[in-house]
Amino acid sequence: MFAAAAPLLELIKLLPRFADIEALLEHEIEARYILKRAADHLELGKLEGSSSSEEISYLIGALVDKHWERIHSGHFSSVPLVIRKVYALGCYFKIIFMLLESTSHEQREKCGAILDEAQLLGCTDKLYAKSKDLQAALMSYLDEDVIGNNSKPLPILAPLERISSRCDIPQLNAPSILEFRNSCYQAEQPTLLLNTINHWPAISKWRDLNYLLKVAGNRTVPIEIGSNYVSDEWSQQLVKIRDFLYRQFGRETSSDDNQEVEYLAQHELFAQIPTLKSDICVPDYCTVSGDTPSNVDIKAWLGPRHTISPMHNDPKHNLLCQVFGSKIIILASPADTPNLYPHESEFLNNTSQIDAAIPDFERFPLLRRTRFYELLLQPGDCLYLPPKWWHYVRSETPSFSVSFWWE
Amino acid sequence: MRQFLFTGFNAFGQHNINKNNNSCRTSVLEICTPRDSNEYPMIIAPCWRYTAYAVGQRLFLQGLFDSQPGECLEVEAAVRIKALAACDNHCLVLLQNGELFKLAAKLRAQLVQIKLENPPIAAATKRTIFGDAKRIACGSPGEITHIACGSHINVAISAGNAIYSIPSCLHQFPVRQWRVQQLECGNEHAILLNGNGDVYSWGNGLRGQLGHEALGVQETPRLIDALAGIKITHIAAGGWHSAAISAFGDLYTWGSNCNGQLGMRVLKPGGLLKEPTVYPLPQLHDLPECCEAAQDADADAVCSPLRICAGSRHTLLVRSCGRVWGSGWTIHGQLGKQLEKRTYLDKFEAIYDAPANYDYNVICGPWATLIMLSK
Repeated sequence: MFAAAAPLLELIKLLPRFADIEALLEHEIEARYILKRAADHLELGKLEGSSSSEEISYLIGALVDKHWERIHSGHFSSVPLVIRKVYALGCYFKIIFMLLESTSHEQREKCGAILDEAQLLGCTDKLYAKSKDLQAALMSYLDEDVIGNNSKPLPILAPLERISSRCDIPQLNAPSILEFRNSCYQAEQPTLLLNTINHWPAISKWRDLNYLLKVAGNRTVPIEIGSNYVSDEWSQQLVKIRDFLYRQFGRETSSDDNQEVEYLAQHELFAQIPTLKSDICVPDYCTVSGDTPSNVDIKAWLGPRHTISPMHNDPKHNLLCQVFGSKIIILASPADTPNLYPHESEFLNNTSQIDAAIPDFERFPLLRRTRFYELLLQPGDCLYLPPKWWHYVRSETPSFSVSFWWE
Repeated sequence: MRQFLFTGFNAFGQHNINKNNNSCRTSVLEICTPRDSNEYPMIIAPCWRYTAYAVGQRLFLQGLFDSQPGECLEVEAAVRIKALAACDNHCLVLLQNGELFKLAAKLRAQLVQIKLENPPIAAATKRTIFGDAKRIACGSPGEITHIACGSHINVAISAGNAIYSIPSCLHQFPVRQWRVQQLECGNEHAILLNGNGDVYSWGNGLRGQLGHEALGVQETPRLIDALAGIKITHIAAGGWHSAAISAFGDLYTWGSNCNGQLGMRVLKPGGLLKEPTVYPLPQLHDLPECCEAAQDADADAVCSPLRICAGSRHTLLVRSCGRVWGSGWTIHGQLGKQLEKRTYLDKFEAIYDAPANYDYNVICGPWATLIMLSK
């Protein structure tokens, strides 16, 4: 039997036996060879440190590395699902072998990061009967000693006083669905909707960054680094929310000290962290086209002061809801697209080359013809944007927004 | 006399380690190749799951094909094999007579001849100096001279300079006064060096591997503007990166640097955040001083870059003094087992010295490095 602790044995029981995944791996030669050896090895309950344990652990690592490469070859959307499933399975086995080696705090941290990658890159849907149980059990096992350790508290952000400011688009106070449909949705009219999300628990809860730290601190998320995504200095990487929160909000003067701006942008955080999902709800406006709320893409946008999304447009209807902090937003109509100098590359052709905050009319003379609309998005406000409307967004304070995209 | 040295991923028994002749202090291990004979040169094409070896007409694939490491697949071609290109699914086999075959990477597979499309006639039309349209003899695909492949790309080039994305014709380069010098493929991109020292690239460039400023897919070969006017002498394609060396002895790398394979720093000082991982434009390197001979006045001639070679996430530079430099991912021993404790190198470091009086050649597998020595 394993000389492993009881909780670990419980986790091992939730791993698949080879028979559970054999059908999935029918055409996956290396996954079949490696996962069979790993599953049989654990099922037989061989002792830790036996000679083949080290070898199998190495093979599992190689399988994960190889499938990471496969997931990163070609366009993500065309990666066969089975490759992402093998990746997730490989990650589960890798975590167990790592825990058999050591259950130190450091090792658990590493395992937690692998578990997040299994979820972010892999496909954890319907792997085998007990896969959801394993995922949940691993998460709670790995999170156990991470939360509640006595690190320095993060600030609780003060609620912002509402200020009256310029708003170049119509404003509606908590419109009915019908009113929204007629005046905004069908009229393709960008509109500022007031007092529509005041009932969200998120409005009062999330300002306390310790709450975010507690429910989300141990999760790994993609972060954009650098002031905006078209600059050469820009990069994107996976980091723990905890580290991101401490770096960007943890100090007394969280800006102006040469620190790079990091932005948790456009991430489906709520699928990853169900607790946060229960603090918001999908506005009824998103179902105006008869769609069900499940077809709405919900994305999180959390960052310090001066995160910038350069002038760009998106193909879907968008409701941008401000939970805390404020953002300057500059809009332009799709009709002005030829005057906005979109980038030529395939990736950036939805993005303008201009800096909407300081338009350079010398370099981009057609800009003179463009009509810009400016507004300030404040806590509790929602901005409705029809598809293809250009928008530039800059945070004026630390800010958390939630966007809802639908067709 | 020839000797094969190896370091890297060998979990599927792709390479037979010579148990009698290996000191544990060396960074590389000697391997025995199947059916070696001194009559013909040995052609080796390593991919991840197996390695292909060709000697004369015979072709051996060794690795994992069904259920066990060390499985073998052996076939014989009609005439001598000229070149191999291997990816995990299949192996492309080019024969001396210019015919192209494919061998699926599974037990009991057979060589299957590849039929290529005819190149478009329009591309073969040229004007004479008097303005008359002139047909160039290019009716059939003709003899194939260069092949390369990766997990998402298969390329062949004919003696008539037609470029194939097997089996379709992608592009027709000028038939005259235009010569292919070298063709290399990454996972999903191809780069080509011609006799003038110009480099062309095509395929998927979403990670900067094409060397063009804008990231994106490039359907047909396009000159890398950033290298135009620089005479390039040797090129390499890694998984998502590329490299080139010039007649001036300069080294350029571009594409993904996720594991330091470009020889560019991975982490920012402080070690918490990463530098950008994608470099779409060729980066010129200041090469570190090489051996003692380089202290002499004639230094440049002694240690100039000779060849470049790339694996999935590592890059090797061979300098004329016989010293091999490497950068990139080494968790599987790609850059030698002396680096056991390191997961990657993010600047070029010396990893191997070829013994004097030997000819040597370096080949990269996706996660492996092979050095062939011969007297």
